[in-house]
Amino acid sequence: MSTINDVTVPDKSNIQGMILRGFTHPYSCHMVFKFKDQPGAKSFIKAIFPYVQSAESWGDEKPDLMLNIGLTCSGIAMVSNLNATDMKYFPWTFQKGPASGGSQQSLNDCGPSDPSKWAFGNTTQQVDCVVHTYAMSPQMLKQLVSIVSNAATAGGLTEYLPLDEGTKRLEEYALIPRNSIHFGYLDGIDQPKLGWTNPMDPSDLRNFLIGYPPSAFSPGPTLGDAGTFAKDGCYNAFRILLQDVELFDNFLSTNAENIAKTIGQTPKYAKEWLAAKLNGRWINGSPLELSPDEPDPKTSHSTKFGYAGDTSGMKCPFAAHSRVANPRDEKLSEQGPVPRLIRRGMAYGAPPLINSYKGERGLIGLFLCGSLPTQFELLYSWINTTNFSAVFPSQNGQDALIANRSMETADTSFTIPTDKGPVVIKDMPQFVVTRGTAYCLLPSLSTLKSLAE
Amino acid sequence: MANPLTLYVPIKQDAISQAGAQLAYETFVKSVKTGLDASGIVHYARLALIPNASGQGTYAILLITAFDGPMNPYLSFFWTNPNTQKAFAGIAQVALNPPVPPVTDLTGFENFINENNLSQPADLYQAYPQTVKEIEAAFPHKTVLPKHK
Repeated sequence: MSTINDVTVPDKSNIQGMILRGFTHPYSCHMVFKFKDQPGAKSFIKAIFPYVQSAESWGDEKPDLMLNIGLTCSGIAMVSNLNATDMKYFPWTFQKGPASGGSQQSLNDCGPSDPSKWAFGNTTQQVDCVVHTYAMSPQMLKQLVSIVSNAATAGGLTEYLPLDEGTKRLEEYALIPRNSIHFGYLDGIDQPKLGWTNPMDPSDLRNFLIGYPPSAFSPGPTLGDAGTFAKDGCYNAFRILLQDVELFDNFLSTNAENIAKTIGQTPKYAKEWLAAKLNGRWINGSPLELSPDEPDPKTSHSTKFGYAGDTSGMKCPFAAHSRVANPRDEKLSEQGPVPRLIRRGMAYGAPPLINSYKGERGLIGLFLCGSLPTQFELLYSWINTTNFSAVFPSQNGQDALIANRSMETADTSFTIPTDKGPVVIKDMPQFVVTRGTAYCLLPSLSTLKSLAE
Repeated sequence: MANPLTLYVPIKQDAISQAGAQLAYETFVKSVKTGLDASGIVHYARLALIPNASGQGTYAILLITAFDGPMNPYLSFFWTNPNTQKAFAGIAQVALNPPVPPVTDLTGFENFINENNLSQPADLYQAYPQTVKEIEAAFPHKTVLPKHK
């Protein structure tokens, strides 16, 4: 323990690495398991614990292979010595899981995203543990996956193979440029600046790490044996989102023809313009608020901007994905601070340019937070809600990129204000489908070690 | 589309708890009005006391509300508002079965509300689809000024 700003802070060696830093290993695989019994679960944790990477600096010796471990509530109940009363101290949302009625009020996984169609995380495919493996080479990854897989077999665990009709693991496909997603956008530009400055600041670590009350989003549990178990941990909303790249590309091309006439530009420009209006940033990352007319390499990684001056959505539509998911200084009708998430996701499946690839492609989403309902689910409810913050009259539609269009009350239109009048797209397609979700706790290393004993 | 909360909490039979429940009933609207107004999501809320079968005293507290959007993400707003926190913590205090975990932080509050909620979204009939915000925007409050002849 040490102190920062008069706050007693935990040792980084006790915190799982992905919480404090984004790993830059080019290869990763995310393995999803169900435990059979407590002895098997404990032997599994014991076997893979030596490979757990903490948040401590590795200096010049970057590990060739390493992993982090997440446990769901059912997994904790199985592998730990916490009794039924202890388990009640965990937050309700974590106890019940993402397929539950309460969580589905926010996630709204209906239609093609319905939990009954998930590859894992629903009532018939319970998840107890997710292991995130990282390596510097394909060979190293294969070696580590083999170690985890053998430990799972020895412990009697069931592994889910979520991709391609239950035949493949969730393996990262390193896209170029790094941190891009299959729709072509540069991703992961803006992360909360984690620190210990003000617990009411949504980026403060006390809003992500459990055990440091008070703070704006009150991570829990902080009481009882469950509080001890969870201290220095963080929740991970692990969510697999299939991206329909062909549908997305056709949507852009089809609408670009008409939009080009409206805005007096070429169809090529209109396609890039429409993609930028859906996201709030151009493909290269330039935010529309700073570069409204064209992408600019100088602004491609900019994070210093706001929406307060754009009250008509003329630069960035209100329903643009990045404006909904991170409204910054925008005036909201919602109370309270705007939540932030730590995003550690990556792409799976080959990029569209590789014609021979016939499998599915999408995003392996790791959304880290201290409170699943007040951070992750609140943002997701905004994404799915039509006109979530009803301050401005022209603020129509759901999140333009990832909202679920199958919701009964959804307004599936998308409005782009322009100085030549609004461009209205009436029927937005479903670009993204949920393929599975698990709510995991990323326990401290001391807690993981205790499970292995 | 609104969602329902039907909070059903059997209470202790001692005189202090019974008096506390009666006080909660009598002061409910006044004590929660500011917090619920500020939330901008609650259509209606009412508290009722369910009498014992004997007709003497109160068996349980029943809190019924309908609100816009998901419930759990917005519970923090009611917990951070001192008046609504006091009202809910007061109900927890007189509960026949002491809540586990205790209602002393947001996690305890979230768990207490969900543990004692009898309703599911599908249980609710709603005559109109508009949200509180949409209704308030359509019918803005008009400031009334003194009349002069």
